[in-house]
Amino acid sequence: MKPLILMLLFLLRAMGQVTYEEIKKGPTENWLTYAGDYASQRYSPLEQITTGNVKSVVPKWIYNFPNARRLESTPIVYDGIMYVTNTNEVHALDARTGRKLWGYLAENVKRSRANRGVAILGDRIYLVTSDCHLVALHRVTGALIWDMEFADTDEGYHSSVAPMVLKNQVMVGVGGGGSGQRGFVASIDASTGEELWRTWTVPAEGEPGYDTWGGFPSKWGGAPTWTTGSFDPELNLIYWPTGNPWPDFYGGRRLGDNLYSDSVLALDADTGEMKWYFQFTPHDVWDWDANETPVLVDMKFRGEMRKVMLQANRNGFFYVLDRATGEYLLGKPFVEKLDWADGLDEKGRPIVRPNTTPTAAGVKVCPAVRGASNWMSPSYVPETGLIYIVTLEQCDIYYASAKEPVPDSGFRGTGGAQIPAEPGEFYLRAIDPETVDIKWEYPMPGPAIAWAGTVATAGGLIFAGDDDGNLVALDAKTGEDLWHFNMGHMIYASPMTWAIDGKQYVTIANAADVVTFGLFEAE
Amino acid sequence: MPFAAARFLLIAVFLLAVAEGQNRQVRNPLANDPEAVVAGRGLFVEKCSPCHGPSGEGGHGPSLVEGRGIRRLSDPELYSSVKNGVPGTDMSGFPLSDEQIWQIVAFSRSLIAPAAEQPAPGDIQAGGEIFWGRGGCSSCHSIRGQGGVIGPDLTDIATLRRGDQLATSITKPSEAVADGFRAVEVTLPGGKDVKGIAKFENNYTLTLLDREGRLHFLRKKELQQIAYPAGSLMPADYGDRLSEKEMQDLLAFLSRQTLRK
Repeated sequence: MKPLILMLLFLLRAMGQVTYEEIKKGPTENWLTYAGDYASQRYSPLEQITTGNVKSVVPKWIYNFPNARRLESTPIVYDGIMYVTNTNEVHALDARTGRKLWGYLAENVKRSRANRGVAILGDRIYLVTSDCHLVALHRVTGALIWDMEFADTDEGYHSSVAPMVLKNQVMVGVGGGGSGQRGFVASIDASTGEELWRTWTVPAEGEPGYDTWGGFPSKWGGAPTWTTGSFDPELNLIYWPTGNPWPDFYGGRRLGDNLYSDSVLALDADTGEMKWYFQFTPHDVWDWDANETPVLVDMKFRGEMRKVMLQANRNGFFYVLDRATGEYLLGKPFVEKLDWADGLDEKGRPIVRPNTTPTAAGVKVCPAVRGASNWMSPSYVPETGLIYIVTLEQCDIYYASAKEPVPDSGFRGTGGAQIPAEPGEFYLRAIDPETVDIKWEYPMPGPAIAWAGTVATAGGLIFAGDDDGNLVALDAKTGEDLWHFNMGHMIYASPMTWAIDGKQYVTIANAADVVTFGLFEAE
Repeated sequence: MPFAAARFLLIAVFLLAVAEGQNRQVRNPLANDPEAVVAGRGLFVEKCSPCHGPSGEGGHGPSLVEGRGIRRLSDPELYSSVKNGVPGTDMSGFPLSDEQIWQIVAFSRSLIAPAAEQPAPGDIQAGGEIFWGRGGCSSCHSIRGQGGVIGPDLTDIATLRRGDQLATSITKPSEAVADGFRAVEVTLPGGKDVKGIAKFENNYTLTLLDREGRLHFLRKKELQQIAYPAGSLMPADYGDRLSEKEMQDLLAFLSRQTLRK
């Protein structure tokens, strides 16, 4: 080991400020956003850990998050400090040692939901609470700066989203698609905490798209915004996905396409104005939120370079859209268990099969309610041109009820039941986005309860949590299983990678611990 | 008596709700009832103080007033602890009536009521002037992003502390130094001295935050010297420095510092 590294001070300098320009660069030694970069590729240029040496990766430290039962957080790392969240809580860790520097647990919070991570800008980090407050904290000391409420939780709203920061805005979304709320994306001034704009995901009476609800009240429409969006700085467009209409499984009172549920919205980053939308599952009655991460890629498509948006949707189809215009380019199944539609028409609209609507007696439909994929993070590798998707092969029995809907009562028009004889099976699939061909797949035997995602590196690796509580490293080209580590708990979060003092690390949370890995070094 | 009958009815409704599994929403039917607090105090002294101390400060049993554990328990959870005991501990259940148990719960809550629930009287604006000005408080403490870094942030302090704790912290700062705020002074290998607080320390590493808000990630074995000045970094003479009125005004200001409006 280099004597330099053994020197007493590994850091002594003024604490830096995170800038928008720095975030725009994507992952470096730091990991500054939920997905690492605005394109949500989750691809790091770090290449110290490679297909050749990954066998020497060992755990470096473990941080047990007190009282955590289901961590879903992707850590942020900046300048030697790691920020990890649990429900209504963030801890700042010394990234080298995994020791806590400070913690903040929000007081008097009215709900208790998972949390997916913080955002960072300037000298601040931003945390959402389950009851829809955005809290700004000083990133070095944890001192509180402001707290603003962006939705009234007594109306049924809640939030688990890792906020997205761009320019001087912090963007947040809400859950509530299962409880009859009206979704929105809100932009909040990062300095003052004042709301700058808000774009509703369900049109009000008189607005375009209102006629797609058959008179159902807008305020109950759902279309929640519970995953972090993506952003194209050149086009100045935010891509924010939306969830299901409410009641989830009974559509008889909301006749029509139910815009803008199960869609991706392209919003002007300065005003929130909707430039285009694409709806994946019109008139959804299977709870197939489109909240899967939209991945932005510049790639050759039918011989021409295109700026596209890729999404492996919960409904079982993989979509390629032109992200400047919203034009539908391609859509094909990425799972075998898909029987609700005979493909997509030339505009990308599903050709729905008869007898797939949930009934009181129950009807078997594939994919399952959890979807062919869900919010578990995908990654994209420019070198291979492949996108890596955590995929679930499963069907459910779907039930519906025409009961009068009551918001925030737990009523969802009923739901889907697992078929005991047909347990789900997870796969990590490497998909060619130009053809939607599966180049390789890595089966993940287990109880089909994982919600773990992926990260890709320039070392030729895909790190992913499997369905047995392992962190695995696969060869991005071939899918060959190169390394794995039993994390001791199931995994409900996605890994990320970062570096300090010239050394690359990989971090992932299991249900209760944050674990950091690196190459073995003899001390 | 109608009042007693109404009380009985409230308690009966509560028990029914618990039976139906809705106990998360249920609150003490005697909450904020001053008579219940007084009655609860008598029961507490008799039944609870042998282990938890006469003011809940702890003894054989844990403190009920420090930390977050008890504060975060719901009313039904406190009720159950008294009625049924706490499994895995020395605390067994008490054969008391439901009303008596709710009285104990009401008294226990009054012990841990944060300052914000009973804000101190006084001139808030004058207290703010002391905090931001001649008291010098803001050179170490911050509120809503303004102020120093070497003392605990006070943005939400009225939610986190009782009124009496605030007063003690000002007059006797060394009685309880918050975690992560222990004073430390080190000499680096080059001979440079750095002073601040230890955000984290074990046998191997020391993470020091200095007054300028810089973190120093240090390896202990490579330091020339480490010293720990006794007590808190906060001056111990505020009791003399501030008049009685000034102290009251400062408490009036601090007991209104909450994050959520």
